[in-house]
Amino acid sequence: MIIESRRSFTILFAIVTAFAIAPLIAIVMYTFIGEGRLDLTKVGKLFENSAVLRTLGNSMLLGIFVMIGTTIIALPMAMIRTKTSLSRYNWLDIVLTIPFMTPPYIGSMGWILFMQKNGFLQQIIPAASWMSDYFFSIFGMVLIMSLHLFPFLYLMLRNAYLRMNGSFLDAAEIFGRNRVKNWFKIVLPLLASSYILGVLLIFIKTLAEFGTPATFGSRIGFKVFTTEIHAYLSKWPVDIRMATSLSLFLLSVCLIVWYLQNLLGRKYAFGILSGKTATLRTIEEKWPITLFSWIFTSIILILSIGIPYFSIIATSLQKVRGEGLVLGNFSFDAYKELFTGGSAGLTAFLNSLMFSVTTAIVTAVLGFAIALYIKKGETKKQKVLDFFSLTPNIIPGIVFVVGLIMFWNAPWLPATIYNTKAMVVVAYCVLFLPYSIQYTKSSLAQLDDSIFQSASIFGRNLWDVYRHIIIPLLMPGILAGMMMTFIISMRELVAGLLILPPSVETGATFIYSQFEQGNASVGMAVAVITVMITVIFMFLLDWVQRRGERANV
Amino acid sequence: MKKNTFKMFAVTGAALTFALAGCGSNTDKSSEKASAKPKEEKVLTVYSAGPDGLAQNIEKAFEEKTGKKIEMFQGTTGKILSRLEAEKNNPVADVVVLASAASMDGLKQSDQLQAYKDAENADKINFDWSDGEGYYHVYSASALGIAYNTKNVKDGPKKWTDLADSKWKGKLNMPDPSLSGSALDFIFGYAAADKSAWKTIESWKKNELQVNGANKEALESVITGEKDATISGVDYMAYKAKAEGEPVEITYPESGTVISPRAVAIMKDAKNVEGAKAYVDFLLSDEGQKLVADAYLLPGNKDIAVKNRAALDEIPQLEVDWKGSEAKQVDVLNKFNDMFR
Repeated sequence: MIIESRRSFTILFAIVTAFAIAPLIAIVMYTFIGEGRLDLTKVGKLFENSAVLRTLGNSMLLGIFVMIGTTIIALPMAMIRTKTSLSRYNWLDIVLTIPFMTPPYIGSMGWILFMQKNGFLQQIIPAASWMSDYFFSIFGMVLIMSLHLFPFLYLMLRNAYLRMNGSFLDAAEIFGRNRVKNWFKIVLPLLASSYILGVLLIFIKTLAEFGTPATFGSRIGFKVFTTEIHAYLSKWPVDIRMATSLSLFLLSVCLIVWYLQNLLGRKYAFGILSGKTATLRTIEEKWPITLFSWIFTSIILILSIGIPYFSIIATSLQKVRGEGLVLGNFSFDAYKELFTGGSAGLTAFLNSLMFSVTTAIVTAVLGFAIALYIKKGETKKQKVLDFFSLTPNIIPGIVFVVGLIMFWNAPWLPATIYNTKAMVVVAYCVLFLPYSIQYTKSSLAQLDDSIFQSASIFGRNLWDVYRHIIIPLLMPGILAGMMMTFIISMRELVAGLLILPPSVETGATFIYSQFEQGNASVGMAVAVITVMITVIFMFLLDWVQRRGERANV
Repeated sequence: MKKNTFKMFAVTGAALTFALAGCGSNTDKSSEKASAKPKEEKVLTVYSAGPDGLAQNIEKAFEEKTGKKIEMFQGTTGKILSRLEAEKNNPVADVVVLASAASMDGLKQSDQLQAYKDAENADKINFDWSDGEGYYHVYSASALGIAYNTKNVKDGPKKWTDLADSKWKGKLNMPDPSLSGSALDFIFGYAAADKSAWKTIESWKKNELQVNGANKEALESVITGEKDATISGVDYMAYKAKAEGEPVEITYPESGTVISPRAVAIMKDAKNVEGAKAYVDFLLSDEGQKLVADAYLLPGNKDIAVKNRAALDEIPQLEVDWKGSEAKQVDVLNKFNDMFR
């Protein structure tokens, strides 16, 4: 194959090294070497400091609770969407991913505005004021983060359910005892590998999350790694070495979790795919199940979309914030301000759009090349590239951002992209490359070897094989990867906060700074527009993918 | 059907090619820009700590007046200081505008500023906080008071110690001094001028004083009625909110409060010194000072009238010496953080 030569390995590896590995090395160097010598004082200080241990405890606790929280939401949801009459409504899948697309800091701002004293809830139902105190605790934080992260686990579980070969279930039906026992003995073990993979990723994602801890966590005095790193970099007095030390610490924790995940994932892996597709069986369903499914789905949708979006939209429409929800206190002023020529909010939004589109395209091309090279990761080189190109998925974004800042400010560099827009795109590409690789890889994995064999027998030349067979078959995966990259880039906050050049703001940093120093209504108006664009984008891509699939059949 | 797939692929392929070409030209552009930089030093890079609207108005007026273009990074004082620190090897900023004279003095002490002694109009500035050697100029100030929600509070507190009353329990907040330069200035100034200050702060803590966010975040809680009052509220933000019809009022305790000076300086490594000097001149000029007053800040030039706010001589002041205070501020901050952790 084309992308198998030694040269392509060198090129790909160089790219991955330059963009993903160098920042990590920069962090290590900065942490351990002071004034040209090995200097361990900072690292030593890290462990003397009881605040660091408390931060570690906080992060771990949050991770575990969010794992539980997302399971409570995602597992029933996946079953409902595959085993009940609700499986017909494919639009639900898009709706259920809206919480994940919603920038987490916006979601938590929405919840804060809703639940705080004198907030929207109390204005609507004054008797609900007792809830406020309970909500502003770790419970509220876990709730918000679980509602944000569950779509991730849900999609993984749902796909595992869908892939599960019908013959297993038929066999169970015939030889097994009752339905409940079958579920525990057959379905659950088959789900285990996907579940473990998913839930540990949720754990890592929780550790890596910045938006919610920065908004909600600061409110309740709950400090985690990411907020502490950001604080050392942006609060006075600045302590960059403390930030890199903490980054290194967080990085190690995530690597350990990732190692565990691999170990467990391998132990519980079963072959649940075979050449035959599962036959779709008609579902007979009793009404309590239908009712429960609808109620459960509605509650999840109200909590994950209804409440935060109500607050966001209401805030963006408020004239006088202190007046609350009163008739006559609503106007489109914030939107008018936003759309009057060259307003800061609009410029910021357009910047986000440009950065995200560029990132989606660059990572799609790179991810495609890397995924084709890695394939199933059989040779050592493939494994190495696989590991390194996926590191941004294991290592929290803020660590990479800190590394990129250190690396691109190194005194020996002849030229630097620091303080240019290119730096932003590079940072985004580093952070989100794993998405496009994974999406391409998973659609590659679905291609049976027989396709390649017949292609090499009947195909004219390699390029034709790529052009007519491989790329078209992989296209839905590539497009899905682009879509994800676009959406995640649109909401990236911490990279923007730390590396944007002067005069440049993204939608995310604009919204954040409006809350810090400016006008909340305009900030929320930008949030509404951002989310609207992403939702439209998502429906469009879903449509393109569907067409692609139909054409393939 | 197959044709369709191919079409889709072709379209995407074309899009990719265009995009890549776009990327290429993008990087070309930036390298062009880099190589063109030594030739024309027209662009002036300003790192400015709020207020949001003022910084933009000044940028616009300055660009119109001088024809020089400004690249601006806006953030809190803490963010700007950390950015300067991270960029030490690769300095970018020409001018810095901070919301804290103490931090500015710190930059001077660590040899990061250059003097501009004969700045135009420097003699008209009525604050004596500017650096005597001309390393930084205090162009404006804000007074720190108690901002309160007029719906929840009928008569505002008169003294700092009033807030120790149990009727304020759970209803107070304050900006985080590690985020907000002015809040740090407040604690520092208050503790320096009043011996019982820490005792009073302790009593606020007993009243469940919430410390979080930058200035606007703290004020926002008062505006929405979540909290009743903000200690160390930046007055210009409160005046602005009030002018927009929000139910908020600001008061300065009779016992005196801290006035937090805001300063501008030229970086030692500034590449565009001419532009930087012009910027400082503009900030101190009558036109610049008028923009400052329009943003409800206290202008440095007392000849410029303030509108809809208390003038400098109407505010009871605590005497604070800002020179060389940066190191002492770290101690104050640590003490405060330990207390509220």
